[in-house]
Amino acid sequence: MLSPALILLACFYFAPVALTTAFAFTDMSTATGIGTGAYVITPNTLRGLQDEGLPEDVAAQVMAETYIVDRAGLDAAVAAGMDEGFVADISARLTGRAYDSARDFIRALRELPNAPRSPRAITAAAEIFGRSALNRRFETREELAEALAIATPEGAIETREQLLDASYTGAVFTTENFRRLATQRETGRVLLNTLFYVSATLAIFNVGLALFLAITLFYLPKGLMGVFGTLWLLPRITPLVLYAILWKWFTWEGGFLPILAEQVGLPSFNYMKGSVVTAWITMISLNGFIGASFGLILFSGALRTIPMQQLWASEVDGATRWQQVRRIILPQMRWPILFVTTYQTMSLLASYAEIWLTTNGGPGRTTTVWALEAFRTALFNYSGNLEYGLGSAMALMLVIVGFALSLVYLRLFRFDELVTRPRIEF
Amino acid sequence: MRLHLDNFTKRFDGNPVIEGMNFVVEDGEMLALLGPSGCGKSTTLFAIAGIYRADGGRILFGDRDVTNLPSQRRNVGVVFQNYALYPHMSVEENIGFPLTVGRIRRDKAEVARAVREIAELIHIEELLARKPAQLSGGQQQRVALARALVRRPGILLLDEPLANLDARLRLEMRSEIRRIQLETGITAILVTHDQVEAMSMCDRVAIMERGRILQIGPPTELYRAPVNRFVAGFLGNPPIVFLEGRTAGQGSFAMDQGLHLPLPPRLRGLPADRPISLGIRPEHFGTGGTAQATGRVTFVEPQGRETLFDIETAPGVILRSVQPAREDVGVGDIVTWPIDVDNLLAFDAEGTRL
Ligand SMILES: Nc1ncnc2c1ncn2[C@@H]1O[C@H](COP(=O)(O)OP(=O)(O)OP(=O)(O)O)[C@@H](O)[C@H]1O
Ligand SMILES: [Mg+2]
Repeated sequence: MLSPALILLACFYFAPVALTTAFAFTDMSTATGIGTGAYVITPNTLRGLQDEGLPEDVAAQVMAETYIVDRAGLDAAVAAGMDEGFVADISARLTGRAYDSARDFIRALRELPNAPRSPRAITAAAEIFGRSALNRRFETREELAEALAIATPEGAIETREQLLDASYTGAVFTTENFRRLATQRETGRVLLNTLFYVSATLAIFNVGLALFLAITLFYLPKGLMGVFGTLWLLPRITPLVLYAILWKWFTWEGGFLPILAEQVGLPSFNYMKGSVVTAWITMISLNGFIGASFGLILFSGALRTIPMQQLWASEVDGATRWQQVRRIILPQMRWPILFVTTYQTMSLLASYAEIWLTTNGGPGRTTTVWALEAFRTALFNYSGNLEYGLGSAMALMLVIVGFALSLVYLRLFRFDELVTRPRIEF
Repeated sequence: MRLHLDNFTKRFDGNPVIEGMNFVVEDGEMLALLGPSGCGKSTTLFAIAGIYRADGGRILFGDRDVTNLPSQRRNVGVVFQNYALYPHMSVEENIGFPLTVGRIRRDKAEVARAVREIAELIHIEELLARKPAQLSGGQQQRVALARALVRRPGILLLDEPLANLDARLRLEMRSEIRRIQLETGITAILVTHDQVEAMSMCDRVAIMERGRILQIGPPTELYRAPVNRFVAGFLGNPPIVFLEGRTAGQGSFAMDQGLHLPLPPRLRGLPADRPISLGIRPEHFGTGGTAQATGRVTFVEPQGRETLFDIETAPGVILRSVQPAREDVGVGDIVTWPIDVDNLLAFDAEGTRL
């Protein structure tokens, strides 16, 4: 009975987290691809290694071209459609020879009887016999190791290993992502943005406004609740794209708010992206209105479970409305408030689509939050190199922060006090 | 404080629940509102507390008209049927709550002193640190009472305070509430549908039926001289037995089934052949009197101190008798027992007592 549930749990809950964790410790990106890579030494690789102390002479040897006339080279030459006589000449006179420089080899080729006239053709022919390790794609590590052994026969073993490691084009395991996140200046800024975004949206809308509305509606005639509940659900059930367009229409220049502001003589501009303050207000409100309905419905339900007689009792005891709310109602709302806070913190931490479709983190990067940054890093950016590894590392941090926060909330709201001993004893 | 309901009316969604109710509770008196479920007892109580608005008439506390005052400013103490304790507060905070809200600021020491004082009166000093969930029903009841009294209210209102307690505890709390009411000298109204509770705890009892007070007076008066059949039938356990018949010659009563009984002397002047019903309480049959009835015992119920009998005196006519415990009579026996004619109650066709 339990196993299907466990399999589902494993597939849909643990697998994403496990994969994210695994990816977070790789340098996977568009460049590396997600499959296995090949081994290629580029001038860039060498330059990078030289900064890390690769000996000058080894670099030079790897970079140097070598030309060897052998069976493989000859076959390649035939396949490339070279003049048959020329190939026969090469085979007859030069087989087994090796040259250290292009100049020497070309001179040797030109002296052959059937050598073509044009220098261009001779250079092309020379290239076929080139055996440089540079810029060549090797499928396995061993193939490149062989090529290196020829190129730098006296290079130290560990130097060669270093070259082999650096030449791998696939993803490798590394903690580099976390080092980068920890040292990058941008990280702190995005963190602060996220903290501000989540706490402001939570406090003002998801808990604050929702609680305020729930309590207000609680004191109003019954029918209003249904109407309001539906009204406040609208942002949640509206397709996100429509909702985003609505906000654009609402806040962009020529939109509803700027025109209204102009009428009354207030500064009128594109509120969504025109200034840091208005961008924040827009972003927090548009996310807040989506989240407020959740709290409103949950809080309204919780309010209705408070026995009417308790409220009557408090009034008879002399409590004013405000005292009734503060001393009787709010203390009994601790659990729903905790739940909404925790749940909404998680959704806000992870949400980016609304922001991406509206302020897109702007103006500049002033409203860029962690999830949006992770999304851009891993899945959507203009430079074209999607850094899956770094993005996963950022996502993993979100998961860890979310988990840690829920523990903090439980302590903060003294969950242990809320869970009293079970009423049914075993 | 004297309480006066003057022509009080209450409607819910246009349906009148209480119509033109009048009564007075004197200062220091305890009145019971007794009646069947749904007759409007709680409604009356909540209107006095200010929880419900009156739709007509006046409510006076002493000389003060409080009809339009919100409950916060009426200074009444209410004990609700399910106690309505605040679950998130300790007992001490629950009792102190009325002193910490409202417009008057009291310092902590003063509140603590008042709470301690009332806790001593109600005998719950050792429970002050607990939460309501950690109390038994009787203890919760006491806490609710303490909370209702801590502000020294002018009037104490109790809505079926004993309904949720077991029989023993009910007995104990009955005398406790009365003791506390007498000690504090507070004017109180007790809502109940238990006649024993009403009669044993209160100075006067008001019998209600469908939003009207039928009779109000000391318990013994209601029992001895009920104004109508409803009151007579509501009070008394085991209940009174009504016999339907007609007046016959020489001040007697005759049933179609053949039973004949003399009427009490004060009713001998009734004209003949009037339909009336005769009420015989069980304690007035089989214990002494001038008339007699003969019948077969159909049911015996020993109750320890007393024994209950059902006697079939004519086909389908069953009289009930309660007597000091006796074992000499069994089911099937034919007995002839006296009837105390002076204490018989007679009602006319409309149910009014004659
Ligand atoms: N809030 C309300 N809305 C509509 N009708 C109500 C409301 N409260 C009470 N009633 C009606 O008013 C009548 C009196 O109710 P009330 O609660 O006063 O009865 P009660 O005498 O206290 O009964 P019980 O012994 O069962 O508590 C009932 O018929 C009830 O249905
Ligand atoms: Mg009631």
